[in-house]
Amino acid sequence: MHLNARKKLATDPWFITGVALVLIITILIIAGPRLAVHDPHDMSFQPLDHPSSQHRLGVNDGGMDILAELLFGIRNTVAFGLVTGITGMVIGVIIGLVCAWFGGLTDNFLMRLSDILMAVPSIMILILTAAFFRPSPASLGLILAAMAWPGTAKAIRAQAMVIKNSLHIQAARQMGASGSYIITRHMMPELFPLYLIGFASKARMAMFMEASLSFLGLFDPSRKSLGMMINYALKYYYLDIWWNWLMPPILCLTLLIMAVTFLAVSLEKVFDPRLKEVW
Amino acid sequence: MNNSSRKQYIPAYILAGLVMLAASYSLPRWLPGDFVTAMYSNSHVTLTENQELELRAYYTQRPNFGRYLLDFFTFNWGYSYAFLTPISGLIAGALPWTLLLMGTAHVLSMVFGFIAGVEAAWRRGAMIEKAGVGSMTILQGVPELGIGVILLLFFAFHLEWFPAAGGETAYVNYTTGRWVLDLSHHLALPLVTLFLAYFPGNFLLARGSMVMVLGQQYLETARAKGLPPIRIRYAHAARNALLPMVTRFGLRIAFMVTGVLVVETIYAYPGLGTLLFNAIAMRDLPLIQAIVLFSSLVVLFVNLCLEFVYGLLDPRVKHAS
Repeated sequence: MHLNARKKLATDPWFITGVALVLIITILIIAGPRLAVHDPHDMSFQPLDHPSSQHRLGVNDGGMDILAELLFGIRNTVAFGLVTGITGMVIGVIIGLVCAWFGGLTDNFLMRLSDILMAVPSIMILILTAAFFRPSPASLGLILAAMAWPGTAKAIRAQAMVIKNSLHIQAARQMGASGSYIITRHMMPELFPLYLIGFASKARMAMFMEASLSFLGLFDPSRKSLGMMINYALKYYYLDIWWNWLMPPILCLTLLIMAVTFLAVSLEKVFDPRLKEVW
Repeated sequence: MNNSSRKQYIPAYILAGLVMLAASYSLPRWLPGDFVTAMYSNSHVTLTENQELELRAYYTQRPNFGRYLLDFFTFNWGYSYAFLTPISGLIAGALPWTLLLMGTAHVLSMVFGFIAGVEAAWRRGAMIEKAGVGSMTILQGVPELGIGVILLLFFAFHLEWFPAAGGETAYVNYTTGRWVLDLSHHLALPLVTLFLAYFPGNFLLARGSMVMVLGQQYLETARAKGLPPIRIRYAHAARNALLPMVTRFGLRIAFMVTGVLVVETIYAYPGLGTLLFNAIAMRDLPLIQAIVLFSSLVVLFVNLCLEFVYGLLDPRVKHAS
């Protein structure tokens, strides 16, 4: 499934746009602390001040620099997406491969478990745990990942079953290759595109949920996040804060979600139209 | 896709429901602190030792799981700390609004998304199809939060065409006709937001599955028989393209519920989402718990019903059983 993939990706406009957006976001994240002249938790400025050379995007109601808040908020949202995306993908890949390789009871048990997990509305579990225990964002991300792996696991399992019976694996087996050798050297590299698709769709879901949950006020209020900024800014909608306070976090959030959406869409299109993951 | 084994999902939904019930039953016991300290330590009421003991005994009594289930299914959900009324009443008051908003948005986006997707697949490669797929992919990258706030800014504040908050005009007596008009006036913005959020997914999914169906041989047969294109499209092809939409619905519902929560909060629409938002803001744990449990069970129930719809739609499933 890799043949010509690189060439197809390089000419796919969605992929190019997605990569460009990811690059911009990466620069914002890495250079964030340098670009933000002020500390995002510094509350010593004139509240609701208009944009000026000191505060490029003005000051919020709590006397904090909005640009600094924004730059730190992007970092937090992306970190949440990465933690959930990577963990969910790793769990999904391992379980998918285990199911495909061993089959039988293990496969049956894990697949029924994933059916149950797919049926449970994960956002509700997140709301419940966040409201009751106020865990750190990282542990919330891990909880989300623990519920989000079944989609990837099923896609990996289905494809691994196909590969398992293909000629080159049979040949490897004939030559006496062990199970672990075949899995790590033959199957894992071949399934590589699926990892990317799994990661992109999980990261998209995670960032979307992070923004929604922080908008609803379920995260620690001292943790800067885009959703929380939108929530606070909406309370002052009658003031002239639309362009400097409300729009920047919305724009950043949209760009973030667009970047992963475009990447996931183009990867799916290029690698296999039948391997579509769920949005 | 393994169509013949869809029956496996039915026990999964029931088990998932039990998991939710068990989680919601046991989570509060792991909470640190207790209700009496939380409620009275900062208040002006000073409790005597006896009163405190009694209150503590009252609030730490835990029904066993059977009793809990019985209470839950008889709508005996306790009292909200913040609103000081029975929780079941609060939920019953908010539920119709959410159903109205989410149901309408879902049905509209499903129907229009499906038709648009089928038509797009039929015109594959044409300019209009490419433009449609492109713009829908872009729209899929815009979160509800963004669409909602932008529509609010534009249509409620700048143009003042639509009200910015609420589900109906308060304290007025309208005739039924005027009331429906008022209702739809308030519904318009949240509905459009949700529609724009759900539509791209439905459109792209319908187009994708239709493209795959169109490649199959039985459509050649239909064409060779000289059937009119519209009949081939809808009676032969679209029927099979509908199946993935139903299967994916259950998986997309988590996104949909999140979307409703956010959109209702933005427009202060008096549904479950706004109720949950207020409950979170006031740390009203029993209410949060009841809303979460209730809506997850509804989601599971809808999924379960869809399994039966799926059986009806796909003759292969019907014959396999």
